[in-house]
Amino acid sequence: MKLHAAAERAARAVPPVWPLASSVAVNPFLGQAHEGLASVGARLERVAGAPVTMPRGWYQERIAGGVITDADLSAALASATDARRPTNLSALKSAALASRSNIGAAPTIADLAAKASGIDWSGLIADRFGAWAAGYFDEGQALWAAPRGGGPYDAWRAVATHDLTPEIVGLSGFAAFVSEIPARAPDALETVVHRLAIPADALETYFHRLLMTLGGWAQYARYRLWEAELRCGADTTITEFLTIRLIWEAALFDRYQDQIDAPWRAVVASHVSPVTPTADHVVDTILQDASERAAQRSLADTLAAPAPVATAGRPALQAAFCIDVRSEVYRRALETVNPDIQTLGFAGFFGLPVSHRRFASDVREPRSPVLLNPGLTTRSGGQEDAAEDQSARFRARAKRAWGRFKLAAVSSFAFVEAMGPIYAGRLVCDALGLQAPPAPNDPTPRFDPDLDLVTRTMAAETVLRAMSLTAHFARLVLLIGHGANVSNNPHASSLHCGACGGYSGEVNARLLAALLNDPEVRAGLVAHGIEIPADTLFFPGLHDTTTDAVTLYSEDHPSSAHAHDLTAARAWLAAAGKIARGERALRLPRGAGEGRLIKRSRDWAEVRPEWALAGCKAFIAAPRPRTAGKALAGRAFLHDYDWKSDQDFAVLELILTAPVVVASWISLQYYGSTVAPEVFGAGNKLLHNVIGGLGVVEGNGGLMRAGLPWQSIHDGERYVHEPLRLSVCIEAPREAVTGVLERHEGVRALFDNHWLHLFALDEAGRMAWRYAGDLRWTAMSAASDPATPVRMAV
Amino acid sequence: MPIELLPFVAPVTLLVSAAAGFLSHGPRPRLLARLSEASALIAIAVAVISAVVLVLGGRHLTRLFGLHGVGVSIELDTVSVVMLLLISFIGWVVVRYAATYLDGEARQGAFTGWLCMTLASVLLLVLSGNLVQLVLAWVATSLFLHRLLLFYPDRSAARRAAAKKFVTARVGDVALIAAVTLLALAYGSIDIAAILSAARSGRGGFLAVGAGGFLAMAALLKSAQFPSHGWLTEVMETPTPVSALLHAGVINAGGFLLIRFADVMLLAPGVLAVLVMIGGFTALFAGLVMLTQPAVKTSLAWSTVAQMGFMILECGLALFPLALLHIVAHSLYKAHSFLASGGAVDLIAANRRPGPVAIPRAGAVGRAFILALAIYVVVGLGFGIQHKSPQAVVLGAILIFGVAYLIAQGLGDDAPRALAQRTVVYAIATSVGYFTLQMFAAWLTAGVLPAVPAPGPLQWALMVLAVISFGLVAVLQALFPLWASHPAAAGLRVHLSNGFYVNALLDRLLHGWRLRNAT
Repeated sequence: MKLHAAAERAARAVPPVWPLASSVAVNPFLGQAHEGLASVGARLERVAGAPVTMPRGWYQERIAGGVITDADLSAALASATDARRPTNLSALKSAALASRSNIGAAPTIADLAAKASGIDWSGLIADRFGAWAAGYFDEGQALWAAPRGGGPYDAWRAVATHDLTPEIVGLSGFAAFVSEIPARAPDALETVVHRLAIPADALETYFHRLLMTLGGWAQYARYRLWEAELRCGADTTITEFLTIRLIWEAALFDRYQDQIDAPWRAVVASHVSPVTPTADHVVDTILQDASERAAQRSLADTLAAPAPVATAGRPALQAAFCIDVRSEVYRRALETVNPDIQTLGFAGFFGLPVSHRRFASDVREPRSPVLLNPGLTTRSGGQEDAAEDQSARFRARAKRAWGRFKLAAVSSFAFVEAMGPIYAGRLVCDALGLQAPPAPNDPTPRFDPDLDLVTRTMAAETVLRAMSLTAHFARLVLLIGHGANVSNNPHASSLHCGACGGYSGEVNARLLAALLNDPEVRAGLVAHGIEIPADTLFFPGLHDTTTDAVTLYSEDHPSSAHAHDLTAARAWLAAAGKIARGERALRLPRGAGEGRLIKRSRDWAEVRPEWALAGCKAFIAAPRPRTAGKALAGRAFLHDYDWKSDQDFAVLELILTAPVVVASWISLQYYGSTVAPEVFGAGNKLLHNVIGGLGVVEGNGGLMRAGLPWQSIHDGERYVHEPLRLSVCIEAPREAVTGVLERHEGVRALFDNHWLHLFALDEAGRMAWRYAGDLRWTAMSAASDPATPVRMAV
Repeated sequence: MPIELLPFVAPVTLLVSAAAGFLSHGPRPRLLARLSEASALIAIAVAVISAVVLVLGGRHLTRLFGLHGVGVSIELDTVSVVMLLLISFIGWVVVRYAATYLDGEARQGAFTGWLCMTLASVLLLVLSGNLVQLVLAWVATSLFLHRLLLFYPDRSAARRAAAKKFVTARVGDVALIAAVTLLALAYGSIDIAAILSAARSGRGGFLAVGAGGFLAMAALLKSAQFPSHGWLTEVMETPTPVSALLHAGVINAGGFLLIRFADVMLLAPGVLAVLVMIGGFTALFAGLVMLTQPAVKTSLAWSTVAQMGFMILECGLALFPLALLHIVAHSLYKAHSFLASGGAVDLIAANRRPGPVAIPRAGAVGRAFILALAIYVVVGLGFGIQHKSPQAVVLGAILIFGVAYLIAQGLGDDAPRALAQRTVVYAIATSVGYFTLQMFAAWLTAGVLPAVPAPGPLQWALMVLAVISFGLVAVLQALFPLWASHPAAAGLRVHLSNGFYVNALLDRLLHGWRLRNAT
């Protein structure tokens, strides 16, 4: 069935978006990973009018300013293969000076009807669709919830046959039109496509175009499909959305057929023609590549700087952090405080994909990368906390009852007349930021049901090997997750740990620490060649990335023997926090001055409490000494990896298929929100209106907006994020890396199509080899250090 | 400077900040944030000192500063001082919030300018000692706010909403001008204090009745009462602090007008009856629409429409002190709700954690109503309810209905006893708060606002109607899950959630959906 296959392909061309309560970064080009940037540029221009690179002026400025050199441009030009590329450097440079033509998205019938009638039909569809979808998917804002019986199409149909708005605006008979369309969504899809007489070859990009007009809603539907498939289920929300959107098209076609028949035939023809990049798309891609080469050049220089001499002997403290770029600043600061401190980088869920139940909560929270279906179930607190759990629930339920009293009809009047004046106090309190939101501090999390010893030991071994931490343990090893403690921010979860599913990372850190302190597990590990000294204590903590304060969960593992170590660790962490704040304050507007960062984290009016991962440009998997002390400026994901102790390169495979993919999602989300803020950005925070507890719209309503808000990538005067596709640098034999790429087609596509750049580091941590695609590598000229011959990484 | 001129300092300092705002260009105007907050703090200080002056010196009116009998003057009494305190406090919160919130916006200076201008004109409005000043401040507030609503002029939704607001506001302006013209003719003065004392002695005749009618019309339009409610529910197209200022400051102008001219309004009982009907209907209608709204700010906007309806209802019942209390209480609550609306994601997630909401059955709802009535009677007797006007006692029914909804949630089959106990404690606290605030409002405005007249047959009929309809909605709401899935309810929900299409009709009239480049 060609029609349904096309609908399926269009559905998969749309990236998913997670609800805001636990949002994670998503690669907006997820559905296009098998294509290169130029061709995706052509595709997204047709289906959304979205650019995939910056405006020419941005590159021109960087060429003029010397950031992008002629060598970068030449190298990018040389690596371009498209026949439409400029013939030489000067042709490329003059193309960079010219503004590019933008054909814009292929018009929909709604667009054509709008042009013919002067009525903004596309806007009205967005408004009506958004109003319906927000009600249907509402997670609990409206006390009178929309009926949920049947699927989305059924529900929409029930609403659309009652809603008089389209008729009032000028589409008379819309409700009757809808009621005549078949009641089953797949039949409806066939009926309307048949009515519009669209040839099969035009369907894919036309369907993709229609889904893009639904903005974040299509992405939310794609998320439901993602989640269903992760659990081996199915979900048809997105094709039902497509059907709904097509019904609008058909109704408008009926109404305006006489006026728009000819232009519509032309649009159909344009959808039939294959997606091919224009010369402009090719130039854009080369310029983007050149700007990435410029960044890689500076990264190579940074990495080529002489490494500090590693101190021998047992470290004073080991502290493992998430690979998140924000950890880099803090880790560097901590190592500055005491050079005997060793820090490590590892994915912030600490290798434990858990489905967690908070204290006094029925809700299961997947605290793991969204690529995984969490296999372990955990909960905060046990039998001994049951009474407290119960009374916490009563408190929460009473609070909820009070909230409903406040918001219900009739009772809201009583509420205002009885309790309104107490808000004077709350206004003062919030205006002055008197209350700091407390760091998460539930009772100790535990596996529920408990894991048997073999499983626990295996999990511990896997994690330690993946961290390349199998020997030389310090007396105190901190496992530190991260979260952001901000107030009044709908996008708060996007500041939390992406590897923990958009939650803060303390639960996973506490679980792993308990696992590794377990004497039975330690005894079992010895048999696997990992001997943890008896005086080593693992200790969990949480790094608040907004204030750089670290909370240690000291009651988890009381140990009088380590009291001294803990006191010292606390002092070092506090000192490191101060240094890290000092560095970060320079980037944040109005950030200067001790205490400012802490104040702004509790300011309810602050739209830029921190920069999160803005600026990220590199992913480095290597032993820490390769990167220690180097000015990576909070722009690199750092994963500890020692290939020499990696048997069969299993850890390498894990890194390339999991953390690298997660990092690519983050990097490309920033990229997409920067180059195409209208399509892949969440818009203006000043206008955000939270819908259904799951997303935001700008202003009154309309389409849900997914991606990063404008204020998260721009400080008002300049971009804070430089749109660069991530440079992945791995210290490992090239053959081993090639082997992993051969086995994982999806990962290979990311590199072959340059959604990621790949480099092999040599043993001095220098970028020695560039992956050129098709499993080939080219040696990099060590321009930064001509005296040293390039050393092979193998 | 004579102390009586002091209140003028508040608007004037804000105007200075506004000028500084308009003069600054580009993002991050240096010092403007501090200057605007300082002027807002000065306004609060002025309000506090004015309150002290009022307590020590009593109600007074300044002489007119101007030419040919036209100019500015201040009527300093409880009503204006309460409003002065409220507006300056909300103003400070909003200005402070905006200074951080808009950091980095290219037009922060202009925004601050219009914000301070709007605040200054609201202050001049509530201080008005004469009719001309009242009208000018009224119109100016609306025009300055219009600039804030169009802070992002390229947004078509913003233009659509602002157009509706603009038309409604101009009709309201005409009504107000008609009202003050009739007042001036009826009393031969533009001095508000003189008009009020004349009206209190029963003078004014049919001209005063007509003035009351136009005042009511202006107030209804300004308070977004049905069917002119549409504009208020769509003005979230501008940064959040504007919504806070609008819903907590500007929207009160309608209620203020009725309270200010309470003595005149009492001369027109027919007009008051209309206010009861429109206000009561709007309160119920908008309250129901609010229940269907999935967007937090939109839900808050409908809540404002409902709350204004309730306030108008109180005015219609001649419970002016309660209306003033309602304005203050609602403003504080709504300003906070808008400014903190970014927390909706966390709030909804937190609400889901303790499991499903226990659904009360009909029997439990019945018990909750009886319990609420008992609490009302016991607490009310403690506060001397037997000495209150029938209107105030009847209005207390609203408290019973509200409190019953709260208690009913603790009486659901799945609700544990501990939850029931907590909701009853909350219910008692609410009742105590309710009566305490009512006593306070009555004490504060004694002698300034007219006493409630004895209800006539029409008033009695309206009160019974109000109690029945509010009670019906309250019962239906408590039994919600039992009927909400009925197909007829689903259809009604669609029409309700669209606010009965008033906005769609107005958009059609004003060509709101016209393509911009096609016009």
